[in-house]
Amino acid sequence: MSEILVNKLTGTSTAGSILVTGEGNSTTTNLQQGLAKCWGHFEGSDATLDDSFNSASLTDNGTGDFSANFTNNMGSVSYTGSFQSDDASNTNASAFADSSIRIQTRNSVNTVADRDDTIYTTFGDLA
Amino acid sequence: MASELRVNTLKDAAGNNSIATSFVANGSAKSFINFNAATPAIRKSFNVSSLDDNGTGLFDVNFSSAMGDVNYTLTSGSGDTGSNVFHIAFAGDNTTPTAPATANYPLKLANAAGNAFVDVPFSMASVHGDLA
Repeated sequence: MSEILVNKLTGTSTAGSILVTGEGNSTTTNLQQGLAKCWGHFEGSDATLDDSFNSASLTDNGTGDFSANFTNNMGSVSYTGSFQSDDASNTNASAFADSSIRIQTRNSVNTVADRDDTIYTTFGDLA
Repeated sequence: MASELRVNTLKDAAGNNSIATSFVANGSAKSFINFNAATPAIRKSFNVSSLDDNGTGLFDVNFSSAMGDVNYTLTSGSGDTGSNVFHIAFAGDNTTPTAPATANYPLKLANAAGNAFVDVPFSMASVHGDLA
């Protein structure tokens, strides 16, 4: 079984671009572009960040209003993300910054409210 | 000639944090998009060749490199700085494809009440699954 021990992968032609052969064994996909750049799981009721990746902290801006602060910034504000909370809730991004993403959580009747088990993931370019 | 490394497992230099390269390929997003539905204009994308505007709140996202089957997954999100909040569904309506295809997938953008299609200012989606 082949195995490589390495702490850092860098492209030879372009440092931030490495191709990975896809599941169909022919098409390649870009490793860096396909990696999630940030994710997190928090409880809105007490603004506790349960687990995360590249999220330095969570800021409680008020009821149903949170900012997930990145450890390593995004390269621009044009990144993409997905958001979800528990039960019949409605969770979305309300503002994008390269250092954080602001998340608004609402209940089933579309009133801003703290929601638990709120999850977020971002994709895009790191700075 | 491009260099190529064939390996089954990656570990850090200390021999920890092992991950099979199959997880790297399978776990990587195969496509993502962030677009303004009102324009429409793509702000940022990966493995997206174009965006079809089929009417208010109705879009098809076309892949540059096709997926290997239609059984891939989609996660989506939306953003709005106003008081309204919107949803994105992995579906079209009667006038657009209602199911994902290997070459594209439909997005339907609805208001929070789910009773009207809308053009959301920040529409986002990412795809995981097998490339062709």
